[in-house]
Amino acid sequence: MTSIRSGNKRTLAKAITLLESSLDEHKEQSRVLVDEALVHSGKSLRVGITGVPGVGKSTFIECLGLYLINSGFKVAVLAVDPSSPVTGGSILGDKTRMEMLSREENAFIRPSPTSGSLGGVAQKTRETILLCEAAGYDVVLIETVGVGQSEYLVSKMVDFFLVMILPGAGDELQGLKKGILELADGMVVNKCDGDTVQSAGVSKQQLVSALSLLNQSEYWSTPVLTCSSFNEKDVIQVWAMIGEYFDLVKASGDLRKRRNKQNINWMNALIEEALIGRLNSNSKIKSLLLELETSVKKLEITPYAAATQVVQALDEL
Amino acid sequence: MESPKDKSKPPSLDDWKELAKVQMKGRSVDELVTESGEGILVKPLYTQSDVEDLSFRDSMPGLPPYIRGTQATMYAGRPWTIRQYAGFSTAEASNAFYKKTLSGGGQGVSVAFDLATHRGYDSDHPRVSGDVGKAGVAIDSVEDMKILFDEIPLDKISVSMTMNGAVLPVLAGYIVAAEEQGVPQENLSGTIQNDILKEFMVRNTYIYPPEPSMRIIGDIITYCSREMPRFNTISISGYHMQEAGADSALELAYTLADGKEYIRTALKAGLSIDDFAPRLSFFWGIGMNFYMEIAKMRAARMLWNNIVEEFQPNNPKSAILRTHCQTSGWSLSEQDPYNNVVRTTIEAMAAVFGGTQSLHTNALDEAIALPSEFAARIARNTQLIIQEETAITEVVDPWGGSYMMESLTQQIANKALELMEEIESAGGMAKAIETGLPKLRIEEAAAKKQARIDRGDEVIVGVNKYISTEEDEVEVLEIDNEQVRESQINRLKEIKATRNQKALDDVLNKLTACAESGEGNLLELTIEAMRLRATIGEVSDAMENVFGRYRAQTQTVTGVYGEAYQGDQDWMEIKKIIEGFIDREGRRPRILVCKMGQDGHDRGAKVVATAFADVGFDVDLSPMFSTPEEVARQAIENDVHIVGVSSLAGSHKSLVPELIKELKSLDAEEVVVIVGGVIPKQDYQQLLDYGVKCIFGPGTPIPKAAAEVLEIVTGVNSS
Repeated sequence: MTSIRSGNKRTLAKAITLLESSLDEHKEQSRVLVDEALVHSGKSLRVGITGVPGVGKSTFIECLGLYLINSGFKVAVLAVDPSSPVTGGSILGDKTRMEMLSREENAFIRPSPTSGSLGGVAQKTRETILLCEAAGYDVVLIETVGVGQSEYLVSKMVDFFLVMILPGAGDELQGLKKGILELADGMVVNKCDGDTVQSAGVSKQQLVSALSLLNQSEYWSTPVLTCSSFNEKDVIQVWAMIGEYFDLVKASGDLRKRRNKQNINWMNALIEEALIGRLNSNSKIKSLLLELETSVKKLEITPYAAATQVVQALDEL
Repeated sequence: MESPKDKSKPPSLDDWKELAKVQMKGRSVDELVTESGEGILVKPLYTQSDVEDLSFRDSMPGLPPYIRGTQATMYAGRPWTIRQYAGFSTAEASNAFYKKTLSGGGQGVSVAFDLATHRGYDSDHPRVSGDVGKAGVAIDSVEDMKILFDEIPLDKISVSMTMNGAVLPVLAGYIVAAEEQGVPQENLSGTIQNDILKEFMVRNTYIYPPEPSMRIIGDIITYCSREMPRFNTISISGYHMQEAGADSALELAYTLADGKEYIRTALKAGLSIDDFAPRLSFFWGIGMNFYMEIAKMRAARMLWNNIVEEFQPNNPKSAILRTHCQTSGWSLSEQDPYNNVVRTTIEAMAAVFGGTQSLHTNALDEAIALPSEFAARIARNTQLIIQEETAITEVVDPWGGSYMMESLTQQIANKALELMEEIESAGGMAKAIETGLPKLRIEEAAAKKQARIDRGDEVIVGVNKYISTEEDEVEVLEIDNEQVRESQINRLKEIKATRNQKALDDVLNKLTACAESGEGNLLELTIEAMRLRATIGEVSDAMENVFGRYRAQTQTVTGVYGEAYQGDQDWMEIKKIIEGFIDREGRRPRILVCKMGQDGHDRGAKVVATAFADVGFDVDLSPMFSTPEEVARQAIENDVHIVGVSSLAGSHKSLVPELIKELKSLDAEEVVVIVGGVIPKQDYQQLLDYGVKCIFGPGTPIPKAAAEVLEIVTGVNSS
């Protein structure tokens, strides 16, 4: 932990590997590590960024990251990519898209494959954030592809959740997953350059009216900005929006409330993980599970009754 | 038993089918139909019926649509130009080589530049320390150019320059060198490759983004059509696509689509089609698929004629596709290298039957390094033998009228038309490139092809079949990169100390302003700057200030390679080993595949990445053109088990030790370093001594490499 705190990237990287490991002994070690990290955490601004592949997240993050570093911050980027195929490993090309940022001394970029157990690596992103904070990073950007479950999970562990979409004439809006508008604290219509300026304006208007139908908090209604990552001014504007929100929620005490609520979520997720872990590690219950699965498939027993049996078995341990 | 057929009638196709069936012991002849990489069905027999519907059957050489050749008499009148591409580290060494080639029967000079020059960096730039003088000659200013062409009469000898990124300063440097030799611009003849579009798809030796790059091309075409009427302003190249794994149809389609885009660019710059179209030339790669390559070249001339006709030229020369060809480097093997002489001969014959205007034949050691003198001589003699010892040159388009060849010509043309249609509907090639589609298509073809070779479905003698137990050591040309760099740096210092700095600064500022405003001609100003002894880097920077430096959008395909191995025993075995690894380590083996230095050939790295991911590794990719220091940092941050270095440009000896040093300094000695690509055998021991764990030459099947890497990582982690 001392080494992580001193800013040693090697140790930080190794610690993240430990968190992501599927081995039980590593899990125990990471628990200790996260406990230690907690004391030193909480000081960063945690921003989740999502959007479909090709929306330009990486280019945006590179531009934003460079701006933040030039303003004197240390920036960590965690890239979660759930879109890899089930059978093989992942190809992680994030750094190829953040070439300039990856060269910066005050940047730390860590792409994570999803080939872990139980809900994938996204689950471990929360712990990774804490380690990055302990290592002194002022801003933690979490990049996630807008497919699967990861964006929902990520939105529940950040202070600000930014949703990026491509300019278009309306189809994009329909293609957005239900609920994503509720998760967003801010939205950006990206790649607004050249031919797309006009359609970006249309998209923006549609989003604004769609968002107006949602319940917003008394002091924050989700803004929609247009942005070109080739234009630093646009990116600074997005950051100003995030900063404004952060200041507001900090002052109102909502930031603390939000993080406290996230901690409850975290706890629940851990309980779930531990319980399922226990079920799977007990050979008696494991074979019972297999048996019951077959019975449920054959309609010999209701899922409800089967679940009751398993919980009972757990009680008897 | 006698056949009861009427003997006065000639035998029919059905008769043949019947007989064939007997000879195949009852199986259908349809089983002999094979599907080519292009997706064309090749039949065992072609007949009259295959050519009946073809529109071009009775065309003539030298006349539209030029299927049968660009000229009426072709090689019967005069054979093709023997043009061997070469560049050796320094201008002095290259100059000596060119003079020797010219006296030995070579008919033109073809210059290969080093990667630093390609990418617009001077030799003293910190990002290119490993690249100077590797894979070609290092050129920093007019002074180097003058040495390069010393005693070569530029009004008589045509010069071909493979340059795409730093086209402006290099072309201007050549012009000024000639000027100082006393040769005026209008007497210069030769070609500059200047084909930037394909750089964005393969090879990656660009500097600026597509849009300003196209403006540069417009300015060059405009200037040259006015001042240098004998100079070919662009050589639209399919060669590098084929080298990157594209099949012949992709190569044909994308190259012609590039050509169409250049026409549009020049027209937009205010020229008329006849001002420049006669000075456009093409460049094909010629691989081992003999018939298909000949068909490709014939189809290309027909398609190009049709494309140019749309723009309504008055000069018939505008619609004629003239081409240079080079035998395939991909087809060469490191194992059993003397086989390469035979391969090159067959490919050279395909190029000749296809009707090329000039030809480069690869040297047998080209899969490993720059050609040695011995290898270069054999390569040159291969062409001389075809020209002078055989009667091949005596007949124009000898394949004309062959049922098979005419039919294949039409089929590959059809395939290409389909692919070109897709590009057109994306708004032309420049737009299509932005979507990344063409690059992805080529990479997909490359992964498929690699899988076919690795599985032995496509045979390479001495590599995946009939493997020789004896190893032939081929002597390889050695380049002392440090020494070249030092002498270049000294010359740079000298130039900078003796030139008129004030005058130069003025011109460079004008150049920046011209880039910004779009007014004026960039080449014209660059010539002025080069006269005043500007360096390549200074000219490039003057424009980079406005244009910016382009960065590749890395996209990767997955699943393509693994698909070919569905159900394969060895493949499943490796997957199982990886499962075991996960159980022990808590995660998949993780490898960083990286490209260091200015080497932009990323096919190998991409294919390895996709194949390793398919078999179960987590694969990180480094940005292109990384330094060893940057790669070491990426390895640490991503916490990988292995760094795989892909090297094709000969800079492994300086960059790999540097990487290992950096890893050590970051306390990450246990990260396994492996190297793949073009590495001469004689360098193996040195790299191993530095701490490289294994080296994979061209032709290593990827599953074999994956298994070996796994073994090493397992060993490291358990110790």
